[in-house]
Amino acid sequence: MAATSAGRIAGLCRLFQRCVSSFTLQQAEYSSSRCISLSNRLSSVCSAVAPAYYRLFHTSHSSSGLEEFFDLPENWGEATVKSGGPWTSKQLRAKSNEDLHKLWYVLLKEKNMLLTLEQEAKRQRVAMPSPERLKKVERSMVRLDTVVEERELSLRRLITGHEKGRPGAWRRSVFGHAYWYRFREHPIPWFMNTHYKRKRFFTPQFVEPHMRLSLEKHLRVKVRKTQLERQQKKKLEELFPKATAHTHS
Amino acid sequence: MSRRLIHPLYQFGNPQLRVFRPGWFLSLVRPGKEQPPDTVQFRVPLEMTKFDVRNYLQKIYNVPVVAVRTRIQFGSNKKRNHLNQRVKHPDYKVAYVQLGEGQTFEFPNLFPEKEGRSAEGSMEEIQEKFMEDEKQRQKSDPRRGGVTEWFGL
Repeated sequence: MAATSAGRIAGLCRLFQRCVSSFTLQQAEYSSSRCISLSNRLSSVCSAVAPAYYRLFHTSHSSSGLEEFFDLPENWGEATVKSGGPWTSKQLRAKSNEDLHKLWYVLLKEKNMLLTLEQEAKRQRVAMPSPERLKKVERSMVRLDTVVEERELSLRRLITGHEKGRPGAWRRSVFGHAYWYRFREHPIPWFMNTHYKRKRFFTPQFVEPHMRLSLEKHLRVKVRKTQLERQQKKKLEELFPKATAHTHS
Repeated sequence: MSRRLIHPLYQFGNPQLRVFRPGWFLSLVRPGKEQPPDTVQFRVPLEMTKFDVRNYLQKIYNVPVVAVRTRIQFGSNKKRNHLNQRVKHPDYKVAYVQLGEGQTFEFPNLFPEKEGRSAEGSMEEIQEKFMEDEKQRQKSDPRRGGVTEWFGL
């Protein structure tokens, strides 16, 4: 619901802007200077035009406090509540950081409202009106999160050249297993840190043959798996020898 | 979403750690036992502290908070599944928030009986639904753009 209302507001804003631009084009004195800022345009409109243009711009009623934990009072007792689709990543990528930050809180409040409604519906043993809204909000939040993380990553790559925010290194465990070790800050140097010194980041000589063995085992398991898959596919093809049933892989 | 920050380690005098996208969700619940009029009951995530609840409500919802009391509700594990194993309901934390500035709160009725709508499962409701369906069925195809039925293939 928040997504739809925000979308409606955005649409109205666009409409408003179009009206304003068309208005400025009509006026000869403004058409000559092309780079008028929006505020200038707005002020020109304010001074010259009747408040007919104001009606195009509309903001939703801002409720505050604990009322935000509940749906709009006109939706109380309805069986279904209309809602739009979740925000797509494409839409979110077009937004500025500030807008995304604001949108997160809009979605957060919406989710809190829906959780409250869900719990109350459970308590009164009635069906929750339009429960699909919860999933929509969750999806939009996950997408928003990924979009912000993308931006963080690209900025970090540009500035520091690192892939990860937390530094680390590839290390080998005692069993020869290589893994990404993430560094941590400690209040004492490493040689005084008994916990750190107890960890073993090396592979002894006598483990090497076992490393080879484990690799062999891993490969054998892999080969067996693929073989089994192939056999099953062959069997299926024998069972259903239809030309359309063949899968190319 | 907010995660616990390990790197870099916070040291005294550093700029305060800030949460830009809080990943905590509260739900306001109807109190089971009667509470004083200025007390609101919430279900909060287990890892949230009293101070977190206070900051959350004050900063995000702009609600004056005087005091927060919390307890942890044990989710029942009495239920058994078909293998006679215990099934645990998840635990949750309950926060009792006392509002300031003389504000009071009463949980509204979110599912009021709407007038003009017949009761569920009654004859009238079925009739209404039937009539609606019939109306929908007798509407012309909107893709035809108002062209009459007899025209075309």
